[in-house]
Amino acid sequence: MSALTPTQDRMRIDARDKVLGRPLFAADIPLRGLLHAMTTPARIAKGRITAIDTMAAAAVPGVVRVFTHEDFADLRVTPATLGGNQPGFQPLTGTEIVFRGQPVALVVAATLEAATEAAELVEVTYEAAPFTATMDEPGAEPQPYETAVEAGDAAAAMASAEVTVDVEYRHPQNHHNPLEMISTTAHVEDGRLIVREGTQNTNALKFGTAGALGLDPQRVDAVSPYIGGGFGQKNVLQLQSVLVSRAAMALGRPVKLVMPRAQLFHTASHRPASRHRIRLGASRAGRISAAIYESDQENARYDHFLRSAHNEAVSRLYGIPNYLGRERLVRVDTNPPGHMRAPHEHPGSYAFESAVDELSYALGMDPLALRLANDAERDAISGKPFTSRTLAACLDRGAALFGWSERRAAPHSMVAEDGSLVGWGVASGAYKGTMCPCVARLRVQADGLTRLSVSGHEMGQGIRSAVGAELMELLPIRADRLEIRLGDTTAIDQHHTAGSWGTGGAVPAVRAVVGRFMAALTELGGPLRPGESVHTRLMALKRPVLEVEIEHLGTSQGPDALERMRRGGVAVVGPEYPDFVSFSWIAHFVEVRVEPTTRRIRVPRVVSVADCGRVMNRRTATSQVAGGVVWGIGAALREAAEIDPRYGFVLNNDLADYVVPVNADIGAITVDLLDIADPMLNASGVRGVGEVAMVGAAAAVANAVYHATGKRIRHLPIRIDDLL
Amino acid sequence: MRAITYTRPATAQAAITAFAQAGEGARYIAGGTTLYDLMKLGIETPAHLVDVSAIEGLGSIDTGGDVLRFGGMATMADVARDRVVMERYPLLAEALGKAASQQLRNMATVGGNLLQRTRCLYFRNGASGLYPCNKREPGSGCAAIGGLDRGQALLGQSDACTAVSPGDWPVALVALDASVEVEGPDGTRTMPVADLYRMPGDTPHLEFTLRPGEIITAVMVPATAAGRRSTYHKVRDRESYAFALASAAVALEMDGETVREARIALGGVATVPWRARAAEALINGAPLTRERALATGHAAFADARPGRHNAFKIQLGAEVVADAVMIAAGRAS
Repeated sequence: MSALTPTQDRMRIDARDKVLGRPLFAADIPLRGLLHAMTTPARIAKGRITAIDTMAAAAVPGVVRVFTHEDFADLRVTPATLGGNQPGFQPLTGTEIVFRGQPVALVVAATLEAATEAAELVEVTYEAAPFTATMDEPGAEPQPYETAVEAGDAAAAMASAEVTVDVEYRHPQNHHNPLEMISTTAHVEDGRLIVREGTQNTNALKFGTAGALGLDPQRVDAVSPYIGGGFGQKNVLQLQSVLVSRAAMALGRPVKLVMPRAQLFHTASHRPASRHRIRLGASRAGRISAAIYESDQENARYDHFLRSAHNEAVSRLYGIPNYLGRERLVRVDTNPPGHMRAPHEHPGSYAFESAVDELSYALGMDPLALRLANDAERDAISGKPFTSRTLAACLDRGAALFGWSERRAAPHSMVAEDGSLVGWGVASGAYKGTMCPCVARLRVQADGLTRLSVSGHEMGQGIRSAVGAELMELLPIRADRLEIRLGDTTAIDQHHTAGSWGTGGAVPAVRAVVGRFMAALTELGGPLRPGESVHTRLMALKRPVLEVEIEHLGTSQGPDALERMRRGGVAVVGPEYPDFVSFSWIAHFVEVRVEPTTRRIRVPRVVSVADCGRVMNRRTATSQVAGGVVWGIGAALREAAEIDPRYGFVLNNDLADYVVPVNADIGAITVDLLDIADPMLNASGVRGVGEVAMVGAAAAVANAVYHATGKRIRHLPIRIDDLL
Repeated sequence: MRAITYTRPATAQAAITAFAQAGEGARYIAGGTTLYDLMKLGIETPAHLVDVSAIEGLGSIDTGGDVLRFGGMATMADVARDRVVMERYPLLAEALGKAASQQLRNMATVGGNLLQRTRCLYFRNGASGLYPCNKREPGSGCAAIGGLDRGQALLGQSDACTAVSPGDWPVALVALDASVEVEGPDGTRTMPVADLYRMPGDTPHLEFTLRPGEIITAVMVPATAAGRRSTYHKVRDRESYAFALASAAVALEMDGETVREARIALGGVATVPWRARAAEALINGAPLTRERALATGHAAFADARPGRHNAFKIQLGAEVVADAVMIAAGRAS
């Protein structure tokens, strides 16, 4: 095996196809006799159905069938049957309405137009019940606090600290809004149920569908060809998946449902609103001795999204010996929240890194210097070493690229030529270094073809480019005839792809399967000669094909992890391993300019320096970081679900009114990657980058706004209203 | 699916006849950027569409005379890039260019844009039956009053409706005393753009003064030297592709450093395109300073009646007016 050297510069593997519009996404695949489905959303936030009249809907020309809860009452729906990683409530199995917009009917018709019209004509009579829309309303139920992180004696250290801050930050509800809508297409072929979705989790789709419908999982195939933005919204079995499959089975024809965007605000997952109280204690010299961080996070009344994890990453940012992190959920009547890019780490870092910024001003210390002064040698929480501890290097490199030394310390002290208030902010970020089991099969043919099948899902992050890079780094094959099959349970066993473990799971598995392949090739006829391709060697050996397969486990995982994966479950390891902890690191430096008159906030430049171990493809990794920064800017300055508590629904449920950044909102984003291999974590030296990219970005923006204006806004998004 | 008849006549008279024959549920369609959107939301449910895009001559642009004449079917994109408009009437070019997106401006027409309906979130979500809305269903009430009203009007609202008039182009036209030419069953008439709009009062479902079957055949702007020193200044929740939080159309005629005559209209804050005459009076004849410009801005909001979440627009709107005045004054005459 070669040493862990930097990878070659390579184009994204599917770049050309994507530019040409060639990839077919799940809902694009043509099927003969396809029927179209549409759901009818509930018009109450809570209560029950007392009657449904489907006469008018069924009479619409082209309508094939109107399904209601009576048709789906036999679905078996527990988190276990659904694969263990999705909401524990399946709509359309009874009369109970537990959240706003819950589907109450599924119409199937020959055309989308007929299905849409008929869905609107389903007459539902409700008995409405009182409900609680947000955690600020009466009736919100805080659950008991759970201790998430504990080290030393935080209360005692806080009491004796020379300088303290005690602040509360708020984060609103956010929605992913991927461009590719959530969809399911299902049909039966040769006795097999074939389900297609843009999903990060074909494994849950296969086993969850089988479980709910009482099918043998080995007769269900799940396929996710490409994903047009996943970001965690597509990492569970969707509320409609099983319904569409059942409809296709009942009708004996392919059925497709693409959820309209307005419905996604109520049926797909979202980032729940949260509150964060943070107390920090430090010496006058700037050594942080104590942190107490308590968070509240909205949750549905019933669902599975059982915990928050706001403390996990931020407790590792600095060497804080006395740390207490407590978290609780607040139950309200909402559709189930779920994972949205850096699901805990983004709101957690927003709050924590804002508090650290406040501490720097309380100490009269440069915010960068305070962070560097609190760097950690070992993990203060577990006492274990880090596989790689490069936060200070990210901060130093970012400061140099940004020109931080030119910063004037006082808030409201930097003014541009046009009168704009200039603010420079910094924040750190970390994200767990995770791994998962992975199966890989490598087939190389003498005729030039190479086919790599691997557990993983392509959601645009570039996993094909990452696993392809490792393959091409290690094996002389024809790049132009390389096929990479993933996101398909018929290609190879699959595992949920999320939490930045895609690369960490799959790339070392590719290294392992190449090792197995080389051993097999050597056994057949000696090692490759310099400059010789595998195809040439196979030709010389008169072997048309050589194929090998391996099962690869995450570091420290046992065979039970593979078993869990093969039963449809999730088997992830990290950040804490038996002998070490592992995190990816990032430092963000942000300049904002605030217009003095109308207080418009612009972000002309950002510098972000990340360390994700060995960089498999610099282009896709850089793109991930830039995208994460855009998300951070969106979260900091733009995005919030507007929910009128009297009604409970999201009012701004489209891309015009749910304000995400547009190109004109984004200035220069300079990304640098340290590219330091992490061989302690795995043989390829890789960690994830897609999540850490966003961690801390919003705090850096908010800290820059404070530096520009002297106004500390303790909620997101920060808008004109807050600064006038 | 819901059946819709569709005709595409070649003359205005044929369109008017077709509209009359179609009876209840007839709608004219031009670029379709608003109508299709509202049809998808279930708010507009026309039975008959009379497409006016093939009517001969309605797309013409004539900026050579004493009156600039834009055919009702001229696209927003075409008018925005007309050389005379760009050079002599920056407020018109900017009002068009800062609206929607390039793709929408390529389709949307300068006549149809005048009839764009409100972006009030309660109105747009109204077809679900969730939210009472007097505009959608007279007498049902207004969910926006006492609700999430950050985007609602501070000027011109009634106890029945607080929905904001969403346009940019009509605001610039109102500042320039533009008029529309309208053709209908009773012949052709012209009226000021400002008179096209109704205040909500007790009848917020009646938004425009057009009579049934009337088509906006042209938009006419009196040529004025004030056009050169003008701007359309628009502040919103992001840099592009968003409706105004507050906007101001300003055109100035100056005597040296003194404002001889100002024209000021407001967008994003009122129930109709809002001419701020009291503000104009405050700055007319006065030496131009930022302080005076800001006082002018405040005067424009003297009658503002904010709700729960939109009071910031008084300060914001005043600053927008002041910035617009200063931008306009900085332009060469």
